[in-house]
Amino acid sequence: MTIELQRPVGDRIVIDDLERLSFRVDRRAYTDEDLAAQEMTRIFDRCWLYVGHESEVPGPGSYVARDVGGRPVVMARGSDGVVRVFANSCTHRGALICSQPSGQARSFRCPYHDWTFSNQGDLVGVPIPDGYGPGFRRADFGLAQHRSESYRGFVFATFDPEQPRTLPEYLAGATEYLDLIDDQSEVGMEVIQGAQLHGARANWKLMMENSVDIYHFRALHKRYVGYMESLGSVPPRRRGGFGCALGLGHGANELPPAAARPLAYWTPMFGAEVRPRIEATAARFVDRFGPERAERITGTNRAVLIFPNLMIIDAIAITIRKIDPVGAGQMAITSVALAPRDEDPDIRELRKSHYLTFLGPAGFATPDDIEIIESCQRGYLNRTVRYSDLSRGMNKEIPETTDELPAREFWRQWDRLMHDDDAHPDLARRAGMPGEEPR
Amino acid sequence: MTIELTVDDAARVRLWHRVSQFLFREARLLDEWRLVEWYDEMLTGDIRYSVPATDVRGEPAGALGLIDDDAARLRQRVEQLLNGEVWCENPRSRTNRMISNVEILTDRGSHLDVAANMVVYRFGHGRSDAYVGKCRFELVVEGESFRIRRRVVVLDHETLYEHGKLSIIL
Repeated sequence: MTIELQRPVGDRIVIDDLERLSFRVDRRAYTDEDLAAQEMTRIFDRCWLYVGHESEVPGPGSYVARDVGGRPVVMARGSDGVVRVFANSCTHRGALICSQPSGQARSFRCPYHDWTFSNQGDLVGVPIPDGYGPGFRRADFGLAQHRSESYRGFVFATFDPEQPRTLPEYLAGATEYLDLIDDQSEVGMEVIQGAQLHGARANWKLMMENSVDIYHFRALHKRYVGYMESLGSVPPRRRGGFGCALGLGHGANELPPAAARPLAYWTPMFGAEVRPRIEATAARFVDRFGPERAERITGTNRAVLIFPNLMIIDAIAITIRKIDPVGAGQMAITSVALAPRDEDPDIRELRKSHYLTFLGPAGFATPDDIEIIESCQRGYLNRTVRYSDLSRGMNKEIPETTDELPAREFWRQWDRLMHDDDAHPDLARRAGMPGEEPR
Repeated sequence: MTIELTVDDAARVRLWHRVSQFLFREARLLDEWRLVEWYDEMLTGDIRYSVPATDVRGEPAGALGLIDDDAARLRQRVEQLLNGEVWCENPRSRTNRMISNVEILTDRGSHLDVAANMVVYRFGHGRSDAYVGKCRFELVVEGESFRIRRRVVVLDHETLYEHGKLSIIL
């Protein structure tokens, strides 16, 4: 059996065997530099990619500069109030027109020859203009603007002019989860200043898998679980939870909180002082949304994977985690905290404190995730073991959170984009996949 | 040539020496993984240990950092590191802390504000990393020695992209 499972099956990377209920991924997917290069063109050059949150460019003239899909971009709110995403490259000779990670600007000036662009992308200044003939038109040299759209404050861009889907179409079932997050404030959510910029010496897809893997939680994160129990976390007030496929590679886990949620789910670990405030918020959510949806918003944890490289984990705090490949064996991770803009200051402190307890390069959990995926990457050096297995839950109608359906949904989309000739395959599914249909 | 120190100068040099020795001892205890001794003997009961985020300068109010431990969470960090539950520090990494540029910024008698530069080399799990930062200590004077009440390490790195994690106490 063992040897049979290791025998190569054609040249397929993803082996989705619905008869044997077996789902395997050839580990070359994590180690092969050619595949890593193909991912950039077949996935990152085509998909809608997360750029940032609207709250990061709160007012006219505010901007952030960052890399998206391996390309330097600027997300700027123009003086007209419109959020745009530009290529961070001068249309003259290519230098970065913005070298500050964030700030406030009416215009961006390229330091090379002082070409100047407005915060709406227009070329507004060219020194010594008589060097050009009558055919030179400034309008031809505005900043390259990427197609971008925002859904509930989350700004995405695509580098593919042929991308046939609008952002909501692309997000498919994941829109429901972004709704559940953005509905947490009537005045809007905001990114808290201070990003956790780190990485891992491992393939980027390992962090995507890890972020929707609840199976590892009790094993790898014993120290975190133990600490939370020592703080007085209590068993969830209800049972249940499930993993789901949301279409087009997106997936989610949803489960009752094991600890507490600063928005409106109080347990003793938050202390008696804030209890009335948190419970009053919970009551307001019931008034606004009715008991069922209120429970889903305030009393439920979720981890949402948005293909290809965005994770939003909404538990004891909300983190937005953007994961960027750097070749096959390294990734860059950008994590920020999202919170209601109108949050009570004491509860904001609780949120931040619990965020740091779990998350980030020095939390009580994330460093172990980093270490374990780096350990996987090292393990792949032994090519005798050819496949990784992601079959958990293929035998179930509704997979549980400890199953691997969201990761399979990710890999199925990866496989379609990497191997199908059709650049934008539809949701067409092979027949006979019980329990594996997107919701 | 003889060097004459005034009484004040001599007191300042002695204080600077004591502070430096204290910080060197701290570095040694951390390098030797004598974390309980460090926690019990060198910190106050209301210690706060912070490492701000690398993308913000200064300490803007309300910003999220990388570490912001009160005494209880720091104690927890120490216990986890020692009992082998920290998967990425088991086996324990080897560290070497270089403390320099020790400067007493203010002397308020019972409290000192101290600045120092720090490089922490970490080796383990087949890799080597260096953490480079500027430290600020608030020291409470306790007889001939001190206890640390506030311990802030401002990393100079733009990102921890190569390090991945910060699993040791800096």
